[in-house]
Amino acid sequence: MNIYVTEVGYTSKVGKYGRLLLDFIRFGCFTFGGGWSIIAQMRQLYVEKQKVITDEELLDLTSVAKSLPGVMIANVAMLYGYRMAGLLGGLVCVFGMVVPPMVILIGISFFYNAFRSSYWVMAAMEGMQAAVVPIIAGAALGMVKGSIKYSPCVLVAAASFALYTFFQVSAVYLVLMGVAAGLLIGEYYERKGAGGHGAA
Amino acid sequence: MVLLELFWSFLLIGFSSFGGLSMIPQISDQVLSHGWMTAEQVTDIVAIAEMTPGPLGLNCATFAGMQAAGIPGAIAANLGALTPALTLCAVAAAFFNRFRESRIMQRILVGVRPACLGMVLAVLVNLAGSTYLKQGTPHYAAMGIGLLDLVLVVKCKVSIPVVILLSAGLGLLLFGVLGIPVSW
Repeated sequence: MNIYVTEVGYTSKVGKYGRLLLDFIRFGCFTFGGGWSIIAQMRQLYVEKQKVITDEELLDLTSVAKSLPGVMIANVAMLYGYRMAGLLGGLVCVFGMVVPPMVILIGISFFYNAFRSSYWVMAAMEGMQAAVVPIIAGAALGMVKGSIKYSPCVLVAAASFALYTFFQVSAVYLVLMGVAAGLLIGEYYERKGAGGHGAA
Repeated sequence: MVLLELFWSFLLIGFSSFGGLSMIPQISDQVLSHGWMTAEQVTDIVAIAEMTPGPLGLNCATFAGMQAAGIPGAIAANLGALTPALTLCAVAAAFFNRFRESRIMQRILVGVRPACLGMVLAVLVNLAGSTYLKQGTPHYAAMGIGLLDLVLVVKCKVSIPVVILLSAGLGLLLFGVLGIPVSW
């Protein structure tokens, strides 16, 4: 948190909130294809560029956001903002992220028939749609390393993938499965570590 | 009165759903029963909400609010849909911040991270299917844009807004100027 503040050159609290607000307004403008593309944008800015948080921490925020009711990206914004600057920081991030899509959609709703039937709008939209998968894929690839601490984690990821894809199991249950798996894996490696020491 | 109803309806939707397409049936129920939108408009707004920036749930809130009571309606509906993030999630954030360094939480997260990764991968496969296959036929132009973007994002570290704008330009060129057919 301090690195972030000093690096950007803001020492005042207002500067910190202003920075969060501007970041999230920008995320809000380019959040296509649901909540996951905001994770990709946050990863690019906060993990890769500014190195304020790690891949592990971003995944943690995502997991908590996904397992709470409501709009996932609003939850992510609240969790990240709170982490960086307390409750007010969370409110600032949610506000910043929500306003651009709302303004854009209010605009569209005035002439949505024209919007829906415009050849050029649809052509541009089709291009943007094609960008959503690589953007999320880039973030997912980067997060693989951070999420696999021990080898059994691969099994957890595979199980979660399969249950979500083929059985439409809710994210809440998948996170709960992760909780149980984490406790088991932690216990196993702790005992193994302790046992190893004893044997040596 | 309408504003309160909008707020309340979207608050209920927010608390009883977990984002994305899972919100559609509930949104549909609420806006149809209140007469804020027609069934046809619901279908349209889902399509528009997916194409425009922002989450589906909030975009539907904005659109339904606009239909029912103009801009104040849009704001009321958005506030309703955001209530879980502003209340429940704020509490969770405080709790999580306090305990995330604890040993038990660190253990739990070792299992939760791969579970979350699995979900992201599942979303990716699903999205890739709907984007690059149209009624079972490969959509080569979209695949081309996708591959180019993948190289730009992963190898060249191009920023995401730039990638999106570039793809919009490519869309205009390929589907607009050259007239490559897409199934819209």
